[in-house]
Amino acid sequence: MKTLVLGTGNPIVSDDGVGIRVAHEVGKKLNDPQITISETSAAGLSLLDSIVGCDRVIIIDAIQTKEGHAGQIYRMKPEDFSFAKHLSSPHQINLVTALELGKMLDLAMPQKITIFAVEAEDITTFSEKCTPTVEQAIPEVVQMVLQELDG
Amino acid sequence: MKKITIDPITRLEGHGKITIFLKDDGSVANVYFQVPELRGFEKFSEGRPAEDMPQITQRICGVCPEAHHMASTKALDALFHVEPTSTARKLRELLYSAFFVTDHTTHFYILAAPDFIMGPDAPPAERNILGVIAKVGLELGGAVIKTRHDNHWVIQTIGGRPIHPCFGLPGGVSKAINEEERAKIEEIAKSSVEFGKLSLKVFDDVVLKNKEYLDMVLSDTFTHRTYSMGLVDENNKVNFYDGKVRVVDPDGKEFVKYAPRDYVEHLAEHVEPWTYLKFPYLKKVGWKGFVDGKDSGVYRATPLSRLNAADGMTTPLAQEEYEKMYSTLGGKPAHYTLATHWARLVELLYAAERMVELVQDPEITSTDIRNIPTATPDEGVGIVEAPRGTLTHHYITDERGIIKKCNLIVGTTNNYAAFYMSVKKAAEDLIKPGKEITEGLLNRIEMAWRPYDLCLACATHSLPGQMPLEVTIYDAQGNELKKLSQGI
Repeated sequence: MKTLVLGTGNPIVSDDGVGIRVAHEVGKKLNDPQITISETSAAGLSLLDSIVGCDRVIIIDAIQTKEGHAGQIYRMKPEDFSFAKHLSSPHQINLVTALELGKMLDLAMPQKITIFAVEAEDITTFSEKCTPTVEQAIPEVVQMVLQELDG
Repeated sequence: MKKITIDPITRLEGHGKITIFLKDDGSVANVYFQVPELRGFEKFSEGRPAEDMPQITQRICGVCPEAHHMASTKALDALFHVEPTSTARKLRELLYSAFFVTDHTTHFYILAAPDFIMGPDAPPAERNILGVIAKVGLELGGAVIKTRHDNHWVIQTIGGRPIHPCFGLPGGVSKAINEEERAKIEEIAKSSVEFGKLSLKVFDDVVLKNKEYLDMVLSDTFTHRTYSMGLVDENNKVNFYDGKVRVVDPDGKEFVKYAPRDYVEHLAEHVEPWTYLKFPYLKKVGWKGFVDGKDSGVYRATPLSRLNAADGMTTPLAQEEYEKMYSTLGGKPAHYTLATHWARLVELLYAAERMVELVQDPEITSTDIRNIPTATPDEGVGIVEAPRGTLTHHYITDERGIIKKCNLIVGTTNNYAAFYMSVKKAAEDLIKPGKEITEGLLNRIEMAWRPYDLCLACATHSLPGQMPLEVTIYDAQGNELKKLSQGI
């Protein structure tokens, strides 16, 4: 089964880099030719380019929710996101719309997509480091991804 | 009218905000388009080797990283006083042309096409690429994905990595291409030309042959007569990668043409207390407020502006389309904001044709790809055309090439005054006393800013390509009447 572990985010804006950090750490612990570890800072439609042709995809990203606290970890599926499909910018082809587009065009879409999201404290300050609380969550997310790959 | 004080120090929630205040009679009193500022990019760059900047600045945004990479690389050429080799120049422009094909394709089919193919009154959930493909067919949808995918392969092959190349060096580039790669790029370039022609046909069929849409394009509501800016080559023809910045006045007469290093003499910034982002304007005309016309320093740097500022395109098919466009629009320069979508497609075709020219150049597979700098670095400016406007990178370093100061003016920043004016005018013209404020009406106000393809991420040197936006309308007593938001 061809698996992709994809860390997404912006590595120079503090907690927005957490997805990429987790992917790097996961990569250090794995040596399986069927599993590709990758990162992307691309927005929107380019997500589709990354996932087409894979059987299973695990995406790791930062998130900010109304009631979450920094460092909190969520395990989600694409269906858990209730995005409006209303767009005013190419930046807004989000994952859900990209997946629908892929299905519509009969592309080789993954059968299973899991998303690990980490509640971010700061995504507005330029820094190559995460904030301490988010930094502390990284090992736990790494374990969760590894368990997901085993299961 | 209820007075509402907007405290500029109040932290906006990280998204753009359009606020419309109404008078007692229901007409528009005022409109504000507020953009949050995220501070710290200059600080973040200080102390870093300038050679890192093409890698760092391309991370500002997930949509136009190649533009930052290229402007930054050219700033390094200037900083280190070194010219790239002839092959390096061509490879840079080849990669850059492929990038323009992907970016303009994405913008047209995701933003412009839904407005016209689904129509401004269609519900938001249908006005997107899914609706477009459902209407025009899977084949076209497949062609959109394939064109982007193939050109991303070109960028990866030339630049070393998709979307975020590791490619630009002062005096050259990091890798050459071999004949096998060259042949595949040529195939993709030729398909991209066909795709460009097809896209212009789609625009012709869907927009130009539809009287209601053509009337909207030509209407006064979506028109502003501003100065136009764009990079031109030595023959005053459009070039995305290199040249001088040319500005023409609203009548089309050349106002100024400057080399990158002279940009500070020509551009100044105006500050308003109600928003963080500053408004660039032409220094020698002066700031006269949010008005258009020859006496106002407001200018635009968009695909339409580039075509206005130049005397033509260097490639034959794009030149034909350029002439057809101006003939339909009643002459040059054209000030119809919605025609920016058309100009974008002319540029798409030009970029594809330019790819064919460059990839067929016998020098393109040469391994002479770098001139090693020998001079001491001090200061350098690099300018390219980003898809959404003229992009300027300016670095000042110490004698070791460590950044002391950096300044970026990005595509969207150039256009802040103009897109604010476009939104304000659309709101004033469309929101009338006694007229119900519908979703469709607010969609039409959105159509006023969509042609600019705002990258507020880049404009604020910040967020990774999100553009959440909120539009709120208040009545004369300050009660919220209607709110529209996306991405929030």
